[in-house]
Amino acid sequence: MDSLEEFIAHAVALEEDSAVRFDDMADALDVHQNHEVTDLFRKMAHYSRLHLAEAQKLAENKELPRFKPWEYKWPDREPPETPAMDATHYLMTPHHALVMALDSEKRGHAFYEGLALTHTDPRIRELALEFAEEEAEHVAMLETMLTRYPAPPADWDEDMDPPVSVD
Amino acid sequence: MDAVVKKPQDYKSDLKPVWCPGCGDYSVLASVTRSLAELDLDPHTVALISGIGCSSRLPAYSTLYGFHAVHGRALPVATGLKLARPDLTVLVAGGDGDGFSIGGNHFVHACRRNVDMTYIVMDNSVYGMTKGQASPTTESTWTGSKLTPEGPGLAPFRPLEMALSAGATFIARAFAGDPLEMTRQICAAIAHPGFSFIHVLSPCVTYRPEQKEWRTLVHAEFTEPETDRKAAFLRLLDDDGFSTGILLKSPSAPFRPTTAASEPISALGRQFAI
Amino acid sequence: MALTSVSIALTGSGGAGVMTAGQILLDAAAKAGYHGLMGRTLGPQIRGGESAALLRLATRSVQSPDDGYDILVAFDWGNIERFRDELPINPGGLIVADPHAGPVPDIMLTSQPHVAAVPFFDLAKKVPGGRVNMVALGLVATLIGLDHEYLMERLAIQLHGKGEAALEASRAALDAGAAAAEGLEHVPRLHAATPPTTERWSITGNDAAGVGAIQGGVRFCAAYPITPATDILEWLAPNLPKVGGSLVQCEDELASINMIIGSSFGGVPSLTATSGPGLALMMESLGLAVASETPVVVVDVQRGGPSTGIPTKSEQVDLNIAVNGLHGDAPHIVTAPLSIADCLFTTQWSVHLAEAMQTCVIVLSDQMLGQSRTIIDKPAELAFVGRRKVAEATNAAEAVPYRRYALTADGVSPMALPGTEGGAYTADGLEHDEFGHPSTQTTHHTDQLEKRRRKIESFDYGDHWALVDGDGDADVAIITWGSTAEVAREAMARAREQGVSVRLIAVRLIDPLPVDQLSYALAGVSRVLVVEQNHEGQFLRHLRARMDLPGRVEALHRPGPLGLRPGEILNRILAR
Repeated sequence: MDSLEEFIAHAVALEEDSAVRFDDMADALDVHQNHEVTDLFRKMAHYSRLHLAEAQKLAENKELPRFKPWEYKWPDREPPETPAMDATHYLMTPHHALVMALDSEKRGHAFYEGLALTHTDPRIRELALEFAEEEAEHVAMLETMLTRYPAPPADWDEDMDPPVSVD
Repeated sequence: MDAVVKKPQDYKSDLKPVWCPGCGDYSVLASVTRSLAELDLDPHTVALISGIGCSSRLPAYSTLYGFHAVHGRALPVATGLKLARPDLTVLVAGGDGDGFSIGGNHFVHACRRNVDMTYIVMDNSVYGMTKGQASPTTESTWTGSKLTPEGPGLAPFRPLEMALSAGATFIARAFAGDPLEMTRQICAAIAHPGFSFIHVLSPCVTYRPEQKEWRTLVHAEFTEPETDRKAAFLRLLDDDGFSTGILLKSPSAPFRPTTAASEPISALGRQFAI
Repeated sequence: MALTSVSIALTGSGGAGVMTAGQILLDAAAKAGYHGLMGRTLGPQIRGGESAALLRLATRSVQSPDDGYDILVAFDWGNIERFRDELPINPGGLIVADPHAGPVPDIMLTSQPHVAAVPFFDLAKKVPGGRVNMVALGLVATLIGLDHEYLMERLAIQLHGKGEAALEASRAALDAGAAAAEGLEHVPRLHAATPPTTERWSITGNDAAGVGAIQGGVRFCAAYPITPATDILEWLAPNLPKVGGSLVQCEDELASINMIIGSSFGGVPSLTATSGPGLALMMESLGLAVASETPVVVVDVQRGGPSTGIPTKSEQVDLNIAVNGLHGDAPHIVTAPLSIADCLFTTQWSVHLAEAMQTCVIVLSDQMLGQSRTIIDKPAELAFVGRRKVAEATNAAEAVPYRRYALTADGVSPMALPGTEGGAYTADGLEHDEFGHPSTQTTHHTDQLEKRRRKIESFDYGDHWALVDGDGDADVAIITWGSTAEVAREAMARAREQGVSVRLIAVRLIDPLPVDQLSYALAGVSRVLVVEQNHEGQFLRHLRARMDLPGRVEALHRPGPLGLRPGEILNRILAR
């Protein structure tokens, strides 16, 4: 990451991608009548959009570089705060959803923290530290929430009915 | 460039997918819409054709012109459309059963015919819509289906080798868990003049939950596309089925029937005059 | 004796050239002012098999073969037992055979014809560059009284580019044949004809179907070869590009039907041609065309079945599958051309119907219609050009969502063609609502079923549903369809010559069967004779499933390969 603009572009893309993914997962759970988790995912998407707005605010009056989706410099295959689609399940509980969200936030935190500690540009270090601290707050908040949603019994994914033949 | 920058959401319809949460196909839908936004294509100039199966539900989830055709016949429908309407961008989506089993013949001949379109196969090695039977790409010893309790006992179909043998000019493999790389491939495939084949490893969380392991098995391998078949064949000799990237992008002259209106219709009868 | 109609069979094997001779004879006769037609029968060999050109020449327009042949020219008797059934000789007819082929087989002598020996091969050998078929051509033309100059005119076209010597060799061979005709007795001569003053065409039913397709607006064809439909595809291949269209050869019939569904979805009127086995493969996708309301036309040139059956011979055997072969409740249209020439009209009309109603039309031609050649006056221009009701572009942001399958009064909904802004939808074989969204709801299913039925039931087919001919006060009516129509018409004409009134209803619109019009056309008759060429009486069953027929109902149907003959139908009319 070579410039402040590039850093902000990444922050924007990170939150946007996370918001879209949480929305997609909310839709998927909604279709499968899992309303509790649907609502949770919608909330996550909402928070991501709030953070997105903050990142976009930083971008005001700046000419951000335009990356193609695959040109961003993420540490992994996807942006760090984007939850993995294959971690969802139609019978998943709020506990699972919170674990997923927590995992995202932790990866987001690690991403920013890494930049805050290692980047050569002091302006990026400063901003990354700010973001990392914010992510740390989210992590703490989710950890608190998680105490209210302990792990479900081991047979949480048991379905008494067989799957349906569709086509 | 267009005054209004297009967003992936512009290509998504209000219809919500019926796919199981966790299905790899969500990722393909996201990559397709992202690619179209990236290429700044007007949704009404793109057609998305499919057959039958989980993945073939894709068109209805888009704001594109779609055709959800019968099982196995997406490629001929798309071919007819593209030949009759070369102005359109034509995408084809389907699964491993649709494309390699019932539609296998069309797959081979679409590779040969090299009509300018992009074919995305979401491969999960199982028939999801009919409750989990073995597909052409299923391991021969997989005993997860009541239909083949001893395992299918057939060597799995090797889509990339088939496509290469049949003469495809653009061949790639993507992984649902890496939608950004998939987006890159789809953009390149659409830009490629000719038949482009993208084999997407798209896990089935319901009937093949063990495919979650694919995340650790895939490896970016085809970093620079080959331009000739021999080199591509050599690379496939070492393919474990989890190599990703664009394997081949070779020079291509897409098939277009010659047509040049030269005569009034009324003149056609002259050949029968005595 | 001079006749108004003479039928001639030219038979030979091993590449003797009977088909070429036959077509030259037909076209030369047309130039002289005669009408006529030429069918063909072929062995299963790709080259060198036994074959026969089956001609009928007449002073008036004829579209049906006669009962039998007045002249049979035989170069040899190879495999004659295989197709002697298709070569009935009229009583008092003349067989002219090469004696080197041995005696005329007994099976050819049952009608006690006259027999003459002409050494065609020896005569041809005496002419430098002479060919046996040209000797026979000269002989036959001389027998029936056709001036050789007409033959030479056609030969000049046929041999164009082969040089003067080839043409002279042919003339010498014709002369040798003419000399051999001298002194032959029991010769059926044709009445003199007057050369036509207006343009006439020499055309096969398959070519006519191709012309009808293009005139109807077809600009895309996906093709998979199959006997006896390939000729249509081969005619369209070079001719579609001339008018801005194209043809693509496919990997199989599953591809060809689906390709035309794709091209038609794109807004281009599309057609394919096939025969029974191919039609069977296309059935699932024809259902898709019905459900997705994508117009397509399939011309089925029927051949003997079931299975591979008799690929080179004609039968009317695909009515059952064409009408009933689609799964689900799938209203669609089935038509049948009523003569060789009518292949043009019916195909063009069928394109019009498919486009107007956004559904699939199956055209039931057959080998007899498709591969026979006839002489017709240049057809008048037809008004039927496929016109599809299309949806206009709307600004997507402001418009109400587009309803591709909107429930309209006539059941036809404006179709948005890809590229139209504001019209994007997904065509679907799944049952759907008005927007095209998949649905399992009772109301959506019922609404769409009724819509698809309504559009083909409420359409105004005009008078084209049938050819109704004959006497309004007749007691007996013949109902027939497809290639037997002209045969029945000739039977009717003969009955009337004997003072028996007959009404003829040759049905072009097989499904939806116009029951009201048919009942009206049958009013007052006490006897109905249903005529068709198949073993099971498929059309009769179809009629009975749809309506009550008046009076006594009789069936006249038998399988091929010999086509039904006017005399057979006449005998049934007269049998009381």
